[in-house]
Amino acid sequence: MKHLIPEFEKLRERFPEGFDSSLVLPCLRRIQEERGFVADSDIEGLVAYLGVPRIQIEEVLSFYGQFRRAPVGRCHVEACRNLSCSLLGAERLIDHLSKKLGIRPGETTPDGEFSLATVECMASCGTAPMVAVNGSYHEAMTAEKLDALLDSKRRGD
Amino acid sequence: MPRIYIDGLPYEADSRQTVMEVAAANGIVLPGFCWHPKLSVAGNCRLCAVQVEGRSWVEISCNMPVAQDLKVLTDSDIVREYRKSILALTTLNHPVDCGICDKAGECLLQDYHYEHNGAPSTSHEVKVHATKFHALSSRITLDNERCVLCSRCVRFTHEISKTKSLGIVQRGDTSLVRASGDGAFETDAYSDNVVDLCPVGALLSRSFLYKSRVWYLKATPSVCPGCARGCAVNLWHRKPEWKLQALDARHNRAIERITPRDNPAVNGPWICNRGRDLAPLFERERATQAICAGFSVATPAAIEGARSLIERARRPVALVSSWASNEELAAFAAALGRHFTVFVKRDREPEPGEVVADDILICADKNPNSTGALANFASAWGPGSTLPEGTDLLLVWGEGFDLAQVPQSLRTIVLDAWKNPGHARADVFIPVSIQTERRGTYTNFEGTVSGFEACFEKDDSVAHAEDLFAALAAANVAAA
Ligand code: SF4
Ligand code: SF4
Ligand code: FES
Ligand code: FES
Repeated sequence: MKHLIPEFEKLRERFPEGFDSSLVLPCLRRIQEERGFVADSDIEGLVAYLGVPRIQIEEVLSFYGQFRRAPVGRCHVEACRNLSCSLLGAERLIDHLSKKLGIRPGETTPDGEFSLATVECMASCGTAPMVAVNGSYHEAMTAEKLDALLDSKRRGD
Repeated sequence: MPRIYIDGLPYEADSRQTVMEVAAANGIVLPGFCWHPKLSVAGNCRLCAVQVEGRSWVEISCNMPVAQDLKVLTDSDIVREYRKSILALTTLNHPVDCGICDKAGECLLQDYHYEHNGAPSTSHEVKVHATKFHALSSRITLDNERCVLCSRCVRFTHEISKTKSLGIVQRGDTSLVRASGDGAFETDAYSDNVVDLCPVGALLSRSFLYKSRVWYLKATPSVCPGCARGCAVNLWHRKPEWKLQALDARHNRAIERITPRDNPAVNGPWICNRGRDLAPLFERERATQAICAGFSVATPAAIEGARSLIERARRPVALVSSWASNEELAAFAAALGRHFTVFVKRDREPEPGEVVADDILICADKNPNSTGALANFASAWGPGSTLPEGTDLLLVWGEGFDLAQVPQSLRTIVLDAWKNPGHARADVFIPVSIQTERRGTYTNFEGTVSGFEACFEKDDSVAHAEDLFAALAAANVAAA
């Protein structure tokens, strides 16, 4: 994390003095971008750097679904299960994904290729149900479209 | 000074107050889980809602600033309906396991439910289960099913004890109170206050867990002798009418728990953990046998022996107890003060690992009445102190002085409440009563005098120091 400190310093300039706790979120995002997840050592580093109580970082990390505490596979599949997506069959899609990949939400395939996660609304309700793979949106999903998507990912597209 | 109306009656308010504060200050109890007079406003339980006259919906009173001629209704149809629904929501996933809950009898949710709802649950869903025994620390267990997420405990560690060691992790219906991973809650010297703060039975003291139903207990107002702050406390022990017949009789004289007693001049509504742990200190094995010249004797005989030693002494010295009450100290001063050279001794010093002092409550002097003792007798006995030349009698009152320090040839009288092998060295030993067996006052380090009441009768074999001193003063001593 140390090498990110110059970047954090720049970020700090954008906030009024004494608002160091506002930096928790952007710093965590930057750390995750870099490492792929937030490690315990990152939390400790941030506590030391920002001087905020550790519990505050733990609260933020566990509140926002996009933060990960462990590495994920090469393809990170996130399926929305919030209201609009659920009404249009998200649960069935998640079951389908689970079966196809042989893992439950929150797990990674043994070969490290796929991780599956369920998430809350990703603001794509109009084209529900939606699934994101490594951050790109795939909307109005069906089981068939999912199969094709996963196969193409498996080929490394 | 704005004037506001609560249910039609006018109340004077301070412009910085909220409606909840004005109500509380005037003895009007508005229900609420998250509001606490000494914590910031969270406004998350929504139960304290009132109606502003003329508006058709409710607003929370704990976060409502007062305004001139503001008219609030606390008992309108809308408010009553609203409270019912909030309580139905609060209990939706609450286990309602009051039968096995330590908080039963002092739980706000129980009280509010019966006062404001009372209706059986209308939900047919299976309740969401959560962890029943989550050890937040070695002292406190958390029942997540009972937690109403009021965040009082969290705010306490951020605003009062300053360890910032609790938080609410996850979100929505998976939210949980958790201690931060750095173990700061474990070392929070005030952590147990969250047990009193918690409006429901979610946070429980592991030392009191399943010990007693609270309605079998009586709270005797007392003063914590743990340090010179002298916090106001309640000592909880079995009510005489619920005396246990079949179990060990010691239960009837046990201090089951110690809780803060709100005293704005001294400790507010808080005490430190050490104050809660004093019961074992009180309940150490008592000295009940008087000793004279190495022989067990009846207390009157020991008093007689001590009296003749005092009478014959030319240069007697007394080390008085800083755990003694003002009344006992005054009795000593009146009966024997002029005859003795008196030093005030510290009965207790900080123990290894104990928080010595902080800027919240805890004081470095671990004795409740050093100030009161020094008001009676000016000299303090410290680590380097020595007995004056020619001392021929030493009276030691209380703990914290080892008789092995003085030559065997020196005559000694010891007054103490607890067993200690050192007592056998004394020429005369007289057992005395302890704080829980008498009433009295202590003067704390800031000069505030606080009183304590007796919880139990003393044993016949021990004497109240207050009565003892007059008996020890022989006629010629008192006249000297
Ligand atoms: S544990 Fe108790 S005090 Fe803490 S949030 Fe839950 S109900 Fe409130
Ligand atoms: S601060 Fe001192 S007097 Fe108060 S509870 Fe703790 S030990 Fe007792
Ligand atoms: S509910 Fe799935 S994107 Fe909004
Ligand atoms: S007491 Fe006002 S919202 Fe909880």
